[in-house]
Amino acid sequence: MLKNAFLMLLSLAIAIGGGGASVWYALKVQDGVGAIRIGQWTAFPDIGTPAADPYSKARVAREGVLALGRAEGLSFVAENDAAGERLKRECTYMIAGDLPTARFWTLYAADQSLGVVETGKSRLAALQSYGVLRQPDNSVAISVSSHPMPGNWLLTDGSGRMYFVLTFYDTPIASSTGLSDVSLPRITKVGCDA
Amino acid sequence: MRSFFAALRRLFHVVLLGLVGAGIVHIVVLLLVPEFSERDAWSRLSMASDLYRMNRLDAEAGGAPVVKSVDPLFYATACRFDLDEGMVRIRAPGNVPFWSVSVYDRSGHNIYSFNDHTATGGKLDAVVLTPAQMIDVRRDLPEDLQGAIFVEAPIDEGIFVIRSFVPDDSWKPIVSRFLEQSSCELQDF
Repeated sequence: MLKNAFLMLLSLAIAIGGGGASVWYALKVQDGVGAIRIGQWTAFPDIGTPAADPYSKARVAREGVLALGRAEGLSFVAENDAAGERLKRECTYMIAGDLPTARFWTLYAADQSLGVVETGKSRLAALQSYGVLRQPDNSVAISVSSHPMPGNWLLTDGSGRMYFVLTFYDTPIASSTGLSDVSLPRITKVGCDA
Repeated sequence: MRSFFAALRRLFHVVLLGLVGAGIVHIVVLLLVPEFSERDAWSRLSMASDLYRMNRLDAEAGGAPVVKSVDPLFYATACRFDLDEGMVRIRAPGNVPFWSVSVYDRSGHNIYSFNDHTATGGKLDAVVLTPAQMIDVRRDLPEDLQGAIFVEAPIDEGIFVIRSFVPDDSWKPIVSRFLEQSSCELQDF
């Protein structure tokens, strides 16, 4: 009798504990269902729409996000460089290449929660397309570093993991048909502080 | 020995049952999270301000941002509304480099969005209403609503968000004023 009760409790514990923990884990990992990958960049065009999958819906509810609408823009997040290594705040990176059509775009360095990196200075860890220099072929090259850099310089600070968030506003790529032949800039590591 | 195998088989059954149960619990919890979340955008906004009250989402206005407004080069403001009480009109005066607007339902899903290229002369003047209210309005369109953008949304409670681009520091006061002067009010009809 006691053994039966114990076994029943065990299966209940596995069911409730395992079920709860798996949901918690699934909502915690960045990478999710419905992601679109272009190079190192990931976007979730469906997040925050009624057409989103249940995991995105739960994430939206849990984190209180108000996602950008299709007519507003589309965000891409990068967590690795071109070599597949995690982005670090103490390293210097080069973001270079062509960008898709948009009225303008913004790029910022983010921490784990995708909030902008605190630089402790009046310069934000963010750049926008009206304020960058372009190469003769209209592509853009941006240096990301905690040290001053020539050309376009995105300031970062501190140490630990870093993400890049690249958002295009008022862009045709936000409608899913436009996403097929989009090319985004490459992120290459230049060097790290010892 | 035989009783040992019997016990092992029993244990295996129990673990299997537990795993099937875990699958069911996983699905149930996943579907219930949006229903019971107290951390969604609506709940956070309702703690900060009343219905029909514009509430800044960026940290610029002082204090921690209510809802995480993602882009550091943007200012944003939001108001909650309830279409059961009537249609809601949102207006903001002035010219800024870029503004965009989104209508969210109670659970934070983006229902409709547009930007300044959609509006007449770049002026932000929008009315959110239900399809039933739209039929009433179509019958006799009031003079002062002629230039407004009508957003038909099959919802009752919702959130209206205005986002505006701040290209550099010199635009900060202008964009701030644009959002401060925006209004979100119940429209009589």
